[in-house]
Amino acid sequence: MKKVLIITLALLGLAAAMLVAAPAKKMIQIKGSDTMVNLVQILAEEYMSQNPGAALAVLGGGSGTGVTGLINKTCDIADHSREWKPSEINQAWEKGVTPRFFVIAVDGLSIIVNEKNTLEKLTMAQVGALYRGEVKNWKALGGPDKPVSLYGRQSNSGTYVFMQEHVLGNKNYSPDMKEMNGNAQIIEGVLQDEAAIGYVGVGYLYDKDGKIRSGLKILNISREPNGQAYSPLDKEAVDTKKYPVARPLYQAVNGKPTGEIAKFLMWETGPEGQKIVAREGFYAIGGDYVALNEKSFK
Amino acid sequence: MKNGQKLGLALLLVLGASSALMAQTAAPSTQTFGATVYLDYRYYLSDAGPVTLKPTDPTVPYLNNQFVFRRAYFTYENKINDFLTFRFRLDADNTANVTGVSLTGTPVSGVSLSKDDKLRPFLKNLYVQWSSFLLPDMTLRIGMEDTLTFKIAEDKWGYRSVAKTLLDIFKDNTGTDIKASSADIGVSLQGAPMKFLRYGLQVVNGAGYSHLENDQYKKFEGNLQLIPVPGLSFVGYMDIEHQLYKVNPLGLTSPMAYTYKLDGFFEMVKGLLIGGEWFTYKNDLNQALNPTTEAQERYNATGWSAFGHYTLVQNKLNVFARHDNYEPNSLNTAKNMNLTIVGLDWAPIHSSLKLQPNLWFYHYTNGTLYNPHATSNSDVVFNMTFFLSF
Repeated sequence: MKKVLIITLALLGLAAAMLVAAPAKKMIQIKGSDTMVNLVQILAEEYMSQNPGAALAVLGGGSGTGVTGLINKTCDIADHSREWKPSEINQAWEKGVTPRFFVIAVDGLSIIVNEKNTLEKLTMAQVGALYRGEVKNWKALGGPDKPVSLYGRQSNSGTYVFMQEHVLGNKNYSPDMKEMNGNAQIIEGVLQDEAAIGYVGVGYLYDKDGKIRSGLKILNISREPNGQAYSPLDKEAVDTKKYPVARPLYQAVNGKPTGEIAKFLMWETGPEGQKIVAREGFYAIGGDYVALNEKSFK
Repeated sequence: MKNGQKLGLALLLVLGASSALMAQTAAPSTQTFGATVYLDYRYYLSDAGPVTLKPTDPTVPYLNNQFVFRRAYFTYENKINDFLTFRFRLDADNTANVTGVSLTGTPVSGVSLSKDDKLRPFLKNLYVQWSSFLLPDMTLRIGMEDTLTFKIAEDKWGYRSVAKTLLDIFKDNTGTDIKASSADIGVSLQGAPMKFLRYGLQVVNGAGYSHLENDQYKKFEGNLQLIPVPGLSFVGYMDIEHQLYKVNPLGLTSPMAYTYKLDGFFEMVKGLLIGGEWFTYKNDLNQALNPTTEAQERYNATGWSAFGHYTLVQNKLNVFARHDNYEPNSLNTAKNMNLTIVGLDWAPIHSSLKLQPNLWFYHYTNGTLYNPHATSNSDVVFNMTFFLSF
């Protein structure tokens, strides 16, 4: 029995040592969308500089990673650039997680090509046909006689899922699509490939000086074949949803936000946070989303 | 319904779903490889119980401390498209040492000392999974797949590296005739039509992953999970299989085997999970003499388990505990036993390497029924489990 006692005490001692070694300060863990990671990182840094007691850590990994993290309670805030899937809502319910959703910015998801591509606009149906692999040469759409080179994201990306649901009609992507790790990698691919097409968050179109990155062409997109085509850089078109690939960027928390999490969300969705959202190339939230956020705070 | 109509309906269902799937073009294929290994350093903290008994003959080895590979998995998964996934998993263990503490070996040791005790790889999973089959929340699997028997409880317990769940562990350890397996060849359909309801249906050979089909009967499994409020769920499970008898002194006309299982899980507090399992196994072929009536009767195996784990430091340190009560033979309660496990789960550097020190306390109503030389009704075993995944 002496040995049992020693081992039991050793286990308890190890647990105590680990607890003592654990950081005393509560760090708010934010995880998810790669489209949002730079924006949220900047928001978090600004918030921490204004609130010295606050500690926030921001990680990417894709919307799916953030959603899974919130469900498994390994993060406090999930960044996601798509809505939750029904299966994720179900999993959350089983694990006692009741997500509340906040829109922190609006994105004009941008369809980009190399500047040498002669096309200026596409319809939603044409973008879908390209990404499904049904159109294999730009010539078929009035462009150069070059085989289409598709750049997209990996399946854990919210942007991958958003495009699949809203542009590809829930069909599969072409097997020829190059699956890139993030928005920046898609932009690099499109810059170096004259036959490329890619999709990125609007905030990634700008360089450090706030100008559109040279070598890129941002296509105007129309909802219908003969409809007016709009640019993702047109704020009014994005706000009024005339630009057809606009989407809200979300953060989700478990239950009614309280304490530092509530303060951070309030700040992000308030005037100071929204000013930074606009400065970083995304769009500030409008009336519907403000109302949704207010409801989620209650 | 006539057989022809049944066949026609089945074909229609499969063809209908196939055409929907084929309408999709192929998507980029994502392939992943992974390996998980459970390695123990085991040390006996008692020396008189059925498992840990120290042999009196000095020429007999006493395996009171040893390193042992308990399990090694190699998994290949190919996400063919957003609807189809193929999984191939090799499992390797030492058949002389299936679980942490074996009670099925010789009285002096649960571990065989024959020269050919290498880790043996065998096929554990080989199936194709079809998501959104017929309905958005319906999943079809065909091939050698996990059975419904243990899966939910195992996922909630989360420490297979330390110990299998109740029914799984005792059917191995006591050698009592419980026919249950964690994987088998067949077809399953699982779904979640509402957030508070899940279901699973499965038809398998019933012989388990380690044997070919050995009779003309199939095992039917089904479960229903209810989640009335977030974080609280209850699972009811049942399986049934017609049994083939080789000798029939009792004149059984249609022997059957049933497993009934009820699970409950509480996950409402961050970092805390509390779970419970209860099962009973009835097999008409499991017959023994009832000491009271002195008649040959069917005996049932029953057990319950309560477990929990709590996160002390996120992604770093968890504590876990479990208590099992097992009654292998309802006609002989002297065979009853209890098992308590407590331990820590520590990821010092990364989640790919975990150290899981754990203590097993066995208590038997009558330990001599498991080892006639045992002088104590208790065993205490310490395991330092190394969980490796890469």
